[in-house]
Amino acid sequence: MLSFHHHHLPAHIHLALFHPVSHAAQIRARIVRASQLEGPEGDAEREAVNFAFIDARLITSTLHLQTAIHQAILAEAQGALRTKTVHSEILWALSPNNNITEAIRRFGVSDNTTALIVVRVGSSGIPDIEHRMKAIATGDIRPLSDLSKLTDWATVKKYYKLNADPAMKAPGLSPEQQKLVADEIVVSTVAMKSVAA
Amino acid sequence: MESATSRLLASAIQVSQGAEAKVFKAYLHPCEFASSSTSPSDASDGRTPILLKYRFHKHYRHPTLDTTLTKARVAGEARAIIKCLRHGVNVPGIRMVDTAQGVLGLEWIDGKSIRLLLGGGAEGEDETTEEETEDDSHEIEEEDPFDEYGISEDDAMRMIGTEIAKMHRADIVHGDLTTSNMILRHPSSAKGLQLVLIDFGLAYTSTLAEDKAVDLYVLERAFASTHPASELLVASVLKAYQEHMGKEWLPVSKRLDDVRLRGRKRSMVG
Repeated sequence: MLSFHHHHLPAHIHLALFHPVSHAAQIRARIVRASQLEGPEGDAEREAVNFAFIDARLITSTLHLQTAIHQAILAEAQGALRTKTVHSEILWALSPNNNITEAIRRFGVSDNTTALIVVRVGSSGIPDIEHRMKAIATGDIRPLSDLSKLTDWATVKKYYKLNADPAMKAPGLSPEQQKLVADEIVVSTVAMKSVAA
Repeated sequence: MESATSRLLASAIQVSQGAEAKVFKAYLHPCEFASSSTSPSDASDGRTPILLKYRFHKHYRHPTLDTTLTKARVAGEARAIIKCLRHGVNVPGIRMVDTAQGVLGLEWIDGKSIRLLLGGGAEGEDETTEEETEDDSHEIEEEDPFDEYGISEDDAMRMIGTEIAKMHRADIVHGDLTTSNMILRHPSSAKGLQLVLIDFGLAYTSTLAEDKAVDLYVLERAFASTHPASELLVASVLKAYQEHMGKEWLPVSKRLDDVRLRGRKRSMVG
């Protein structure tokens, strides 16, 4: 697990990449249930799932993830969140269009998710944060450098509508170069989400 | 001045300044993240810098108008860049946007401007910059500065023409094509040797041959005013441009002849 903060931002970030994840459907069901529970029991359950759950297959690079987290925290710091929490804001920032439900469905945990990034944006002193993450997501915690091996490029290209882009069809582009180009478009799309046309 | 982005600016190093914006070099993401595996404590090294373009407050404008204009310009620049990226034009990637503060964070390009490489002296808008002309400009060496990049001067000119053609085919007009707004990315960087167009602050979308011709005309004048023997250089640029424009070249070429006769502005008579 990684814990860090940006010098210019108030929030601390804790994140971990879980892979392989075999029980994504249960995680999703638990999050849905937490939102429906009432009373103190509900509050406790909501706290237990108070993370951003990101499908790692749709992340092209650490920079992609960093950019989404950064823009989400920036929006929160400015009181300009477009979704209800900073965690959902990360998912929304990742999505190339403005539909929040679709952002969560696509970039959040889904029933067939096998690699999961769990992010907590909050204060520095959350006790047992790693323990809490492991209480929800099972699977091994992998270094973020594994992200590039997990990327599902076909889906990334579909969601970010890269297939129609002349940049991807440029002649003489090796598969590796094409990934660099795609990653750059994806990162830039996330970074400029707040002003997208 | 309490916002997150202003704290980021405070930690940044100013690189240059124009009438519209200041440019900084900064580190956006914490180092632990960048080198995701080990070495948590080595600061700046190993981290990738970004460039921050900060459109500062213009006190001569009404505050409301100032905010609106700044927001619109930051957004406009970001949109022009993403359109270029999707069309395969080499431009810096976007790293962050904060319209409230007027800040655009861009990919840091490691390399030198064409203006410097052609021996046109340091960049910077001669009047507004102070004494920050320290860098590489005054090396009085007779060797070809392009050697370091493994290409000839003519290759570089052809790369310029190619890149502008790609941009114009995407119907983006740069608005300020000068040799200081073109950077040759060093071959040692991850993306390899590239000619990168920068500063889309004046860019706009247009399908008109007229606008593209004016773009080229501005470039011609920029070459003529900063570099000796510019005709040959411009001829190389235009040759590559022509090859990459395909059938769109003819209307632009006709317009360019007109523009050369009358100048950048159209006649307002009639």
